[in-house]
Amino acid sequence: MRILTIACSLAALMAASPLSAQTLNVASAGDQNMVDYVKDYLGPMFEKAHPGVKVVSVGTGAGDSGSQKIFEKLDAQKGAAAADFDVVVIHQKAAGTMVKDGLLNKYTGNVETAKLATGEATKNALGSDVTGYVIPMFQSQTALAYNADMVKTPPATFAELAEWARKNPKQFGYNGIKGGMSGVSFVAGWVYAFGGDADKLIKGPYDAATKTTWDKAFADLKEFNRNAVITPGNAGTLDMLNRGEIAIGPVWVDMFYSWQADGKLPPNMKLKLVSPGMPGQPMYYAVPEKSAQKKLAEAFIALATSPQVQADGIVKKFNWYPGIDAKNLEGKLDKAAWDKLFTDVTPADLAKNGKAFPIAPYFNDILEGYEKKVSN
Amino acid sequence: MLSQRNLALILIAPGLALVAALFLYPLGFSLVSAFTRDGSFTLEWFAKAFELYSTDIVFTVVIVLASCALTALAAIVIAGTLTLGENRFIVGTLKALYRWPLFIPFIVAAQCMRTFLAKNGLMNNTFVSLGLMEPLQAVSFLDWRGIIATFVWKQTPFVALLLAGALASIDRATLEAGRNLGASRVRVLLELALPQVMPTLLVALVLSFVTMLSVLSVPMMVSGSQPTMLTVDMAFRINAYGDYATANALGVITYLISAGAAILYLRRGLSQEAPR
Repeated sequence: MRILTIACSLAALMAASPLSAQTLNVASAGDQNMVDYVKDYLGPMFEKAHPGVKVVSVGTGAGDSGSQKIFEKLDAQKGAAAADFDVVVIHQKAAGTMVKDGLLNKYTGNVETAKLATGEATKNALGSDVTGYVIPMFQSQTALAYNADMVKTPPATFAELAEWARKNPKQFGYNGIKGGMSGVSFVAGWVYAFGGDADKLIKGPYDAATKTTWDKAFADLKEFNRNAVITPGNAGTLDMLNRGEIAIGPVWVDMFYSWQADGKLPPNMKLKLVSPGMPGQPMYYAVPEKSAQKKLAEAFIALATSPQVQADGIVKKFNWYPGIDAKNLEGKLDKAAWDKLFTDVTPADLAKNGKAFPIAPYFNDILEGYEKKVSN
Repeated sequence: MLSQRNLALILIAPGLALVAALFLYPLGFSLVSAFTRDGSFTLEWFAKAFELYSTDIVFTVVIVLASCALTALAAIVIAGTLTLGENRFIVGTLKALYRWPLFIPFIVAAQCMRTFLAKNGLMNNTFVSLGLMEPLQAVSFLDWRGIIATFVWKQTPFVALLLAGALASIDRATLEAGRNLGASRVRVLLELALPQVMPTLLVALVLSFVTMLSVLSVPMMVSGSQPTMLTVDMAFRINAYGDYATANALGVITYLISAGAAILYLRRGLSQEAPR
């Protein structure tokens, strides 16, 4: 009987505790560094400003699969009173789906800093209208990393790169499409370059017949792959560059600079954003429709997208491009930190050759076309 | 009073419920999803799986079979040395060392192999510094060979452990007799000892086969993605397209491959039971 009483009171206590202390659950898709960013940097800062609040950071995995997991969880909790997550950090592809399925809250009107982000990515996620549902956490970009000792004049276009790879067999490496987004980005860039109308793939509208025009591009890519090395993953490409096993490979700019800052890449590595361009993408802050802590979630995102945090956290700590418009960071950031981001890839390069990923249906067509015509 | 039988049922009920909830239900669910579209029967997911991944299916089977063969070979050498070896130093060292990979998870093994087998990795660098190889001769083993190396390295101790146990428990007299009649140790191992422990070896290999078939981290981390193993394709179908149907079709194909191994094993087991 005594045990029963204790058990009952324990259960009552456990049920009551969420009322006394507030917990903000932040789920991030993406690499571990993004989970740590919330846990070690943003979380403590927010807790300090909001006594009694605890920020819990969970990671759901790298790449689109991480966002897919968040989507599945929110979708499964559609009928529940409250979702497990209060703030989610998601990729573009999932953001579009989640908005369409009514899983996200239209919150940006309540967040002052939303006005600081006006780029295309705040409205359009791979062809889906996401206006009002998202604020970018950061922008990232892929580019070709090359070893300046081995490559004196880096190729400036995809065509030159193909020619270079033919003359230097097994010196170009990328991770295919199953081992991370830098390879996917390279393949998308290849289709932009050789598949015809890149603008249409990025802006739409979708036309199912378009994919039949890519046959030659894929056949050439299959040929190109014979002279290329398929690396194991985003980190695998950087690993091989580091060991001097390949001379050129597509990488994420932020990963590249972070590895270089950690001494995991030699200083003779440089970046080149080739024409007609390679895709980059933002990560988004969003609030689930069923979040139990909407006010708190909005406050958290307001802090995370404030110019000071964007300058110190996003640009300085992680070498990401800011999620809000760059002009808002003026005065918050020393010139050296800012210039470092633009040493190899200049703002002009970025404006000209920094592309978005194709809209979701074309995106899937490209991946599937690659599986069908290049890798099988 | 509960009868013995009812009591037994109650005791195993939690276990059965777990198996049903965590294995049988998902299995049934994935079977249904692999064969249906909007509730009606279809084979289109299998058509898609074969269209996109036929190379990978062959690749997976070849990798796993080759790994099994090499694992068997290595395990026989190790277990044979342990039971029939006469040099106490070698046997002692081997005994102390061979089980280590058992305690290392696949993902850690894969990460180690990534730096070990790379073109300018630890293995090639050692050869070069020992003067056994020119730097230009170095090749990367981070492809199908890397996957096989990792699998064999990881599964050999498991098979060797079972095999050594079985070898230790067979009647020493036959082995001694063979030795006395002048047979070499290799011959005693191959012609007298191994046939007696064949069922154990086969069980160990079937278990290894199924384990290797289900590993995602090794093909993902060690080799590039073309061609790759079915686990990677399944993960990709779900992650990139949210396409559970084709992933489940690939899963069913994997079930069939492992069922092939199980059937081979069962048939052998039954034919051995029959004469008794």
